[in-house]
Amino acid sequence: MCLLLYGLFIDVVGVEMKVSWQTRLHIWFRLLLLQASWNFETLQGLGFFYALLPGMRKLYSKEKLPEVCLKYTGYFNTHVYFAPLVAGAVLRLEEDRISGTAAEVEIDDFKQMVAAPYAAIGDAFFWGGLRPLAAGIALFLAVKGILWAPLVFVLLYNIVPIWFRTAFFSRGYRQGLKSVEFIQRHKLPDLAIHTKEAAVVVLGGLSAFMVFSQLTQHQVPSWLGMLTLIPMVMLGLVARKGFSTLLLVIITVSSIFLIGLFWADVVHLIAF
Amino acid sequence: MVLSLFLGSLVSLICGLDRVAILQIMISRPIVAAPLAALVLGEPLVGLQIGVMVELLWLARLPVGAAVPPDDTQVSIASSVLAITLGQTLNASGGELLLLCLFIAVPLGKFGQYFDRYARQYNVRLVQRVDSALKRESFLAAEGQHLRGLISFSLSSLASYAIIILGGLLIIPVLWPYVQQSLSYSSAWMQLAFPLVGIAVILGTINVSRAITLFCASFCMAFLLMWLV
Repeated sequence: MCLLLYGLFIDVVGVEMKVSWQTRLHIWFRLLLLQASWNFETLQGLGFFYALLPGMRKLYSKEKLPEVCLKYTGYFNTHVYFAPLVAGAVLRLEEDRISGTAAEVEIDDFKQMVAAPYAAIGDAFFWGGLRPLAAGIALFLAVKGILWAPLVFVLLYNIVPIWFRTAFFSRGYRQGLKSVEFIQRHKLPDLAIHTKEAAVVVLGGLSAFMVFSQLTQHQVPSWLGMLTLIPMVMLGLVARKGFSTLLLVIITVSSIFLIGLFWADVVHLIAF
Repeated sequence: MVLSLFLGSLVSLICGLDRVAILQIMISRPIVAAPLAALVLGEPLVGLQIGVMVELLWLARLPVGAAVPPDDTQVSIASSVLAITLGQTLNASGGELLLLCLFIAVPLGKFGQYFDRYARQYNVRLVQRVDSALKRESFLAAEGQHLRGLISFSLSSLASYAIIILGGLLIIPVLWPYVQQSLSYSSAWMQLAFPLVGIAVILGTINVSRAITLFCASFCMAFLLMWLV
């Protein structure tokens, strides 16, 4: 909540505003519904129009509004946590256009220009890095049977997205076109790579923990667990070739099932 | 049982919407959704076990652009609901039933992907409707059309949940007497295999140049530490 309040209000102090904070808060909440009508034609286009509508209502007359809105219902796609940044910047550019300040690029061009790179950064950072990292940490607790593990996951994961959604929205609105420089300065692609590396390290530790616990529980010599690396790396390489996860799961689990049956027979025979 | 299935469907609806349509605060992830469904039905540990097994399975399948990953949310919720309700009906407990529920749910989860695609395809109609509403200067109607997309995603989530539940209720009671004993020999190892396969797939697709080296180093270090302590 503190992050949210800070993000929404801190950057706008001292900025001359046409769109009131209430309207911006309204837009921010609507951005949570950005993908409600996600479709294969315009992707997030309708959601972007829906989110910006309260702002456009303040900026344009009733006669001009339909024409302006129609521009926003077209194709738009970016990462969902970066959309507030784009929305904030677009709102600012619209405000500048109304006040007669000439923009260096067309608003529509700006929107399309930043959407794809932001989507790529967001996908790599959030989906590719932060999510496996948070999941890996939470799974340590879950494997131990700690019921708070899901809550830990939600809290760990959401700190950064909440920050992006709030502070970046304000930043976008405050800086308009210059918000791009803000993103460049923070070297988010590098951060995405580091987060992914951290995720790999955590997942390595998690695998070792799960294997070790299982072997100890079944009183199997624990050094055998090191051999798990071989099938895991092999499965990883096979997955890299494009094999489906479902197929890999079916093959692995069926093999374990058959080995289990075979082993049970062997134990049964020895007992005789 | 009907009440349990209904409560499960409510969780499925809420978590299903978080997946794409609203919020994206990740309550749709199996590690959250499965324990949540199981908590509502009074057995959170069952959900936690299923969450651990499903969470990493498709984590490497990123929802990038127009790509639609498999519906692990509904797989985990429906598996939890099936394991709890059938556990009571068949008077069974333990990892074996849980595994069987998951074996049935995972392939049926593929339907979730089709329903999700269909919902997104259906939403294309909303674009024309919004445009014509705007031309009529009816902003309220245009906003309403956008929100109608929520109905498509809700129906898609519920349909995936229903398919998995229906499949499970039809198949599991028939299979259970035949596979119960056989599964008991290796259920613990199969439960371990699910997250490990998921991690292996992440490792293969994470697009980090030193992923395998980092993973092996971390694995060995953690393993040795646990062995020594």
